[in-house]
Amino acid sequence: MKVYFELNGEQKYVEIKPGERLLDLLRRLGMKSVKEGCRTGECGSCTVLLDGRPVRSCLTFAAKAKGHRITTLEGLGSPEDLHPLQEAFLETGAIQCGFCTPGMILVAYHLLSHNPDPTPEEVREAISGNLCRCTGYAKIVDAVLLAAERKRKGDWR
Amino acid sequence: MAIRRYHYARDVDEALSLLLAYEGRGALLAGGVDLARGPGTDVEGLIDITAAGLGGISRDAKKGLVIGATVTLEEIRTSREARDYLGGFLTEVMRHVATLPLRCMATLGGAVVSAHPWADIPTALIALGAEVAWRNEEREERAPLEELYRRPFRAIFRRAVLTEVRLPAWGGAFAFEKVSRNAGDIALLNCACGLGVKDGKVAWARVAVGATPYRAARLTGVEELLVGESPSAELLAEAGRKAAAEAKVGDDLRASAEWRRAVIPALVRRALERAAREVKGDA
Repeated sequence: MKVYFELNGEQKYVEIKPGERLLDLLRRLGMKSVKEGCRTGECGSCTVLLDGRPVRSCLTFAAKAKGHRITTLEGLGSPEDLHPLQEAFLETGAIQCGFCTPGMILVAYHLLSHNPDPTPEEVREAISGNLCRCTGYAKIVDAVLLAAERKRKGDWR
Repeated sequence: MAIRRYHYARDVDEALSLLLAYEGRGALLAGGVDLARGPGTDVEGLIDITAAGLGGISRDAKKGLVIGATVTLEEIRTSREARDYLGGFLTEVMRHVATLPLRCMATLGGAVVSAHPWADIPTALIALGAEVAWRNEEREERAPLEELYRRPFRAIFRRAVLTEVRLPAWGGAFAFEKVSRNAGDIALLNCACGLGVKDGKVAWARVAVGATPYRAARLTGVEELLVGESPSAELLAEAGRKAAAEAKVGDDLRASAEWRRAVIPALVRRALERAAREVKGDA
């Protein structure tokens, strides 16, 4: 079957299998920021935004993308033009192995899109579904708060 | 058998006719969380009902809530209707369920039909006296959820589409408590309690305990103990102890029956204490 959807602002019309997961489709389309961790919806490393809301791509059928807007980390920034959240993660040391980082940044992006001035507790709650085995989370919280501060000052897109 | 077809149903009639045509080899989905984790080996066709007109949350004439089967748990958590119903009880329950990305996918109808014994939502819905509606090939049917779970409901939903959940208005307060290993984890025990108070005495009580590890059940003996009495600290503690005696508990890989029996008194007492603090005495 073929489905239309928007991926990071680009229209796509692609062949999918009826039982295929969104995670596998996105990686097949070159979105390698979408990581396969647990494949049971627990770890959060496959998180993407569907119409702006975070979902687990490992537990989402690819067919559900039809007519919707999918955003992966590739849609926020690039190595040449980092998103302010990516810059904040780098500056605060919130990245170690990096496997959880795309999912963390996408849930943080969703949080800041409707709460520009979160408390540390609200940041912790927002990232609570995303596991990181390296950082201990403190620097990730710092990074999101730093990005929020910059967003409030207008350094954001 | 691999999944061969994915259908987008435009309304309930189409969803139902597709489901019946598959003769047990089709599955309805909205969020699709459970099916994506592991569809049954006999599932050949997936029928997506997200656009079948089963969304929306509204108040009914009696100030109860009507929630469409495909409304996501996060839509409920962030809705004004849920915040205005029973002082935000449902908002609080949803906050305890899984994590944000899963709540953005999972639906109320999915939670009702999947009916995982450890799930929080059936416990809350049973305490609230929820009624569910579904369509089969002959008619629309309704039943209290508590009664539906005593029937072969999995067989019913192989040939029917759950359409909505109705929650009655209550002139009292409810509280939800849960014990789990961490905030996003499934429950080791959960409990939902409601109280109405009139002239200083308990006018009605609703007590449901789930993840025992069996599916949620009301504890009518505890409810009877409470009614007609003043909601004192001693009474609520006694209700907690009686709950441990009345609840059917068992062992599973997460906790023993002995542990559950030891924890239920505190869990039920806490939920009753919170409901008693919030109740306005206008039952």
